[in-house]
Amino acid sequence: MQTPALELKELWFAYDGARVLDGVNLALPAGEFLAVLGPNGGGKSTLLRLLLGLVKPGGGSLRVLGQDPGQAGGCIGYLPQFTAVSASFPITVLGAVALGLVRPGFSGLGGWLKASARSAEREAALLALDRVGLAEQAGRRLSDLSGGQRQRVFIARAIVSGPELLLLDEPTASVDGKGRQELMALLARLNRDMTIVMVSHDMSTVDGCVTSIACVNRGLHHHAESRLTPEIFAEAVGVDPAGCPVELLAHGPVPHRVLLDHDHPDCCGGAHRRRQGDQGPEGAP
Amino acid sequence: MMEALSFEFFRNALLAGLLASVICGVIGSLVVVNRIVFLAGGVAHASYGGVGLAFYLGLPVLPVTAVFSTTAALGMAWVTLGARERADTVIGVLWAAGMALGIILLDLTPGYNSDLMSYLFGSILAVPASDLMLMAGLSGVVLVLAGLFSRGLLVMSFDVEFARSRGVPVRFLHFLLMGLVAVCVVMVIRVVGLILVMALLTIPPFMAERRARSLAGMMLLSACLSAVFCVTGLYLSFALDLTSGASIIAVACLGFACSLLVPVNRPKEAA
Repeated sequence: MQTPALELKELWFAYDGARVLDGVNLALPAGEFLAVLGPNGGGKSTLLRLLLGLVKPGGGSLRVLGQDPGQAGGCIGYLPQFTAVSASFPITVLGAVALGLVRPGFSGLGGWLKASARSAEREAALLALDRVGLAEQAGRRLSDLSGGQRQRVFIARAIVSGPELLLLDEPTASVDGKGRQELMALLARLNRDMTIVMVSHDMSTVDGCVTSIACVNRGLHHHAESRLTPEIFAEAVGVDPAGCPVELLAHGPVPHRVLLDHDHPDCCGGAHRRRQGDQGPEGAP
Repeated sequence: MMEALSFEFFRNALLAGLLASVICGVIGSLVVVNRIVFLAGGVAHASYGGVGLAFYLGLPVLPVTAVFSTTAALGMAWVTLGARERADTVIGVLWAAGMALGIILLDLTPGYNSDLMSYLFGSILAVPASDLMLMAGLSGVVLVLAGLFSRGLLVMSFDVEFARSRGVPVRFLHFLLMGLVAVCVVMVIRVVGLILVMALLTIPPFMAERRARSLAGMMLLSACLSAVFCVTGLYLSFALDLTSGASIIAVACLGFACSLLVPVNRPKEAA
């Protein structure tokens, strides 16, 4: 049997004595595309930091790719939140992607690379850029790219080292609508080669594009379905199932979105694996 | 210019200015892209305590200040480790405490300290050859350290979160960077004075950031800009009998204004 990508047992974590995560259990098989939803402050980011080994759990066990968190660094690709990078940093697209190859520990600090290592890095970076469809932009300054393109550059940086697990923190934030669809189609393609865990509060990107959904609000509920049911929706936004988070309706031809039928063959280009036997009512109110 | 070059003090001043330019190009670029300008300001002003301490103990000023400001910088690095953006109050306190300590120690030192102002506003025209040697040595140390850890510094500067997730020792790099800033500040104090340190650390890198295509390119460009400002400012101060530090900064500010007027030309995207 294949090693599960993630294995969390009775995990908890506390800030100043208050448990932000408690009794978290999750077994995620390799190859899944998991969306982690939940209200702000529900512990989504903490969960991601635990998986990366940036913080230590208060208790319980946590295995990432069969290893202790922090040990699997070389096999994990990570996309931090968009705001982390200064927009005016002087770096080319290719240079930014190549930084994803930095080795952990003190051996990765040195600036002097052999010519062969340098060209190998260049090649790997170009390959990763090609996978996200930005090979032609390799020589441009990163700050000249659009928000959606820049996000794809950071995904290229995350996958340049050939990871088995891709962790994404709000990948669609600050990307416009068209860019979002392209981004989700790209992630569905990448999902063929690696497990993906995506933290998001953007429901529209999740529906139908992922293979399972986890709702995190102190506890964690894993739903093995790719569609938003009213129950999942309510859990994800932290309201009562009968409640409605829509606060504004407008007159006239306002653009709107209606969720696809369950067995519609054409969501996200149909690239992701489909789950049969989805149940539950339609997600659209 | 030829006339000016015939004086030894002017040649020394020129060399000091060029050394400071190189070091400010490298460290200033790191300060600007890491957004730690306020931290660097804190180190610069706290180093005044080192000047006071040196006078009080009757020891050579530059080495004592170097040790003092490095200690202050590492202290600030420790304070800012956890949450960089939350530590600004503590930096403000250290900033003020260092300056107050310096002035009190100078008060306690017997005799009239005519040299005091030179550390506030710079005394590049009075740099002795011995200080020049020390500056060259410190520049060498800073350049070697920055070169040795260049990949790590680049990864951290670009994206701390990502660097941490890759297992890059970000804590060590943060301390290293603050130490380098302290050494740099001590050198530049000689040239333009600690009041004006910030300008030389920030104006050239800011101008370079918009035009460079890599961090190394940004360092090179800002070192060149600094050198132009130093040489021009020095010459003007010699020719017009102005305070040297203020002249250098005035030229830098003028250059800064001009760079804002000139648009950055880059090829536009085809598709």
